Amino acid sequence: MLLTGAQIVMECLLEQGVDTVFGYPGGAVLNIYDALYEYRDKIRHIRTAHEQGAAHAADGYARSSGKTGVCIATSGPGATNLVTGIATAYMDSVPMVAITGNVSSDLLGLDSFQEVDITGITMPVTKHNFLVKDVENLADTIRRAFRIANTGRKGPVLVDIPKDLTAKRCEYTRSEPLALPKTALPKPERLEQALEMIRKSERPFLYAGGGVVASGANDALKDFAERIDAPVSCSLMCQGGYDQTDARYIGMLGMHGTNTSALAIKNCDLLIAVGTRFSDRVLCNAGLFAQHCPILQIDIDAAEFNKNIDVDLRLHGDAKEVLTCLNEQLTPVRHSEWMGMIQGWKALYPLEQKAPSDEAVTPKELMETLDRLTGSEAIIATEVGQHQMWAAQFYRFRHPRQFISSGGLGTMGFGLGAALGAQVANPDKRVVNIAGDGSFHMNCNELSTAAQYRIPVIELVVNNTVLGMVRQWQKLFYESRFSQTDLDRATDYEMLARAFGVKALTIRTKSDIEPVLKQALALNEPVLINCYIDPDLNVLPMVPAGGCVEKPILEM
Amino acid sequence: MSNQTGEKEYILSVLARNNPGVLLRISGLFSRRCYNILSIVAAQTENAEYSRILIVVLGDDRIVRQVDKQLSKLEDVEDVSVLDRDRAVVREHLLMKVERTLQNSEKLVEIANVFHANILNVEPDSMILELTGDAASINSFIELYNPYHVVKILRTGTMAMMK
Repeated sequence: MLLTGAQIVMECLLEQGVDTVFGYPGGAVLNIYDALYEYRDKIRHIRTAHEQGAAHAADGYARSSGKTGVCIATSGPGATNLVTGIATAYMDSVPMVAITGNVSSDLLGLDSFQEVDITGITMPVTKHNFLVKDVENLADTIRRAFRIANTGRKGPVLVDIPKDLTAKRCEYTRSEPLALPKTALPKPERLEQALEMIRKSERPFLYAGGGVVASGANDALKDFAERIDAPVSCSLMCQGGYDQTDARYIGMLGMHGTNTSALAIKNCDLLIAVGTRFSDRVLCNAGLFAQHCPILQIDIDAAEFNKNIDVDLRLHGDAKEVLTCLNEQLTPVRHSEWMGMIQGWKALYPLEQKAPSDEAVTPKELMETLDRLTGSEAIIATEVGQHQMWAAQFYRFRHPRQFISSGGLGTMGFGLGAALGAQVANPDKRVVNIAGDGSFHMNCNELSTAAQYRIPVIELVVNNTVLGMVRQWQKLFYESRFSQTDLDRATDYEMLARAFGVKALTIRTKSDIEPVLKQALALNEPVLINCYIDPDLNVLPMVPAGGCVEKPILEM
Repeated sequence: MSNQTGEKEYILSVLARNNPGVLLRISGLFSRRCYNILSIVAAQTENAEYSRILIVVLGDDRIVRQVDKQLSKLEDVEDVSVLDRDRAVVREHLLMKVERTLQNSEKLVEIANVFHANILNVEPDSMILELTGDAASINSFIELYNPYHVVKILRTGTMAMMK
């Protein structure tokens, strides 16, 4: 049938099973928005307050559902406003397709109104991008974009469409998405070597990253951990990739890892890393990381082997398939002495937090109460900073796709948009965005989106009135010269929430925590909770950048 | 080919789809990952849909393996090979303008003849020479002309083909 370019975009989204998109209209996407109006019964469009919010919402939608997130923006500033969101998705390997309008083909390259070279700008932060030059190629380009976003290591793809193409008519034939190409299994001799390393090990340590979540390898990981009888540590990106209520789970590893993980890596005789890229936040100092034990790495991206750290054996492939393959060859063993040591450390070094006064709220108690009241089943989004680490430390994530956080890029302002996306993708789940007051100020405008579409997210602002994480570094390494981190803002959080049409609650003391959280959870509408905490609380343990991961600071 | 830090020159041959921006994708990857390009030569292949890009990289084995794997991830890149100098024909092309006077003219032509270089153009006060060869012979060639005031040098960078 003969369709306009804009209608072809809609049809291609439908081909891919897309029923929800996030975006913001503008001149160059007028035709696309006209088509969205026509297709409004089939594709739901959520208009955010700012394009950045749309990109984060598409990201949160993708992370929480495993589907591809889609965002739409106009040319120029609309497109550049997506960039932080695209870069966030890129760093955390989230499948996303960003569709941008551009000026008409005849105006390209002339510094036309709202023109920007968005394919040039996003080249370093996308898996690939396209500037469509002929409407005949439009459908196949969008199909390819979805395919690239989901093949191998996932990530964002941008499609830039000049305005005239969205009006041009072209013959369209529906085509079903092809099955995604599978990453081949490692060579049998490699697998055999790995099995030998594993069988020889008496003190194995299993460390899992975001690849476990991306490939749906959580069950295979659990089976593997049981077969080899190892403690399990998860990176920030793998929170929930292993059930944290399980006795094998020992917390995170790295800059804010647990002391148990630090001792485990010091004493293990084999480190098995699954779906992780050994970020500098985990290694802390590559030269001092796991020096005495061999490392076996499983990853889908060949470029992640020997990039940040040299490994002894690499298994290139999809985490789920490789683990399944290994599980088939492994007879369960017991390492009682080793697991006894692990449990001893866990008992000796629990994560603790001293309250500055009897009545003061500690983030630990806040997170643990939230965990209890939501039965460890809520989807938790976060912003970036201390509150993010506390959420990861004290909420017990049990399932993959339950923790939505910007790990690689560390994007303050990510969480609220991402929480909206996660709630739209999971209408039956409770979604809470845990924010700091600094991050909250970056994109608080998205409260208006929550209110307008009645997206019932809980925005929990952990308000210490300072930029806590940076301030913590200033305390440790800059002699408490608190340059620009004491915010001294006059913001009335409750009034601001109400101004956006969102209910507001306040937690001032310890005794407020449970009743206020209960009240918020009972509401089926967006609500902001302003929770005051002491500005001098720190995230501990902590390994300073460049320090040895085995020697975290436990008190300060 | 090694310098003090143990870095070597490696020749990478990249076959890429001839899409707009492909050179930018490849060179951008080098700059953002802090790999050093010494030279880059790109042109369409026998098949107009593809370009062949020859890149000389300064680094060690580890870096070159990383470059290879990162390049291979680019959607437009079809193939990456690290060429073994001993098993490849390695050539470079030079255009050089040299100042000419009545006194040195004969000497300039004499050097060109020794190298079997071509004289492409002669003006009253300058001449343009052309030479194809490996990097070492081109370097010697330039060295010999240095005393006569070299006005301008254009080098293509390394081209290489497996035997």
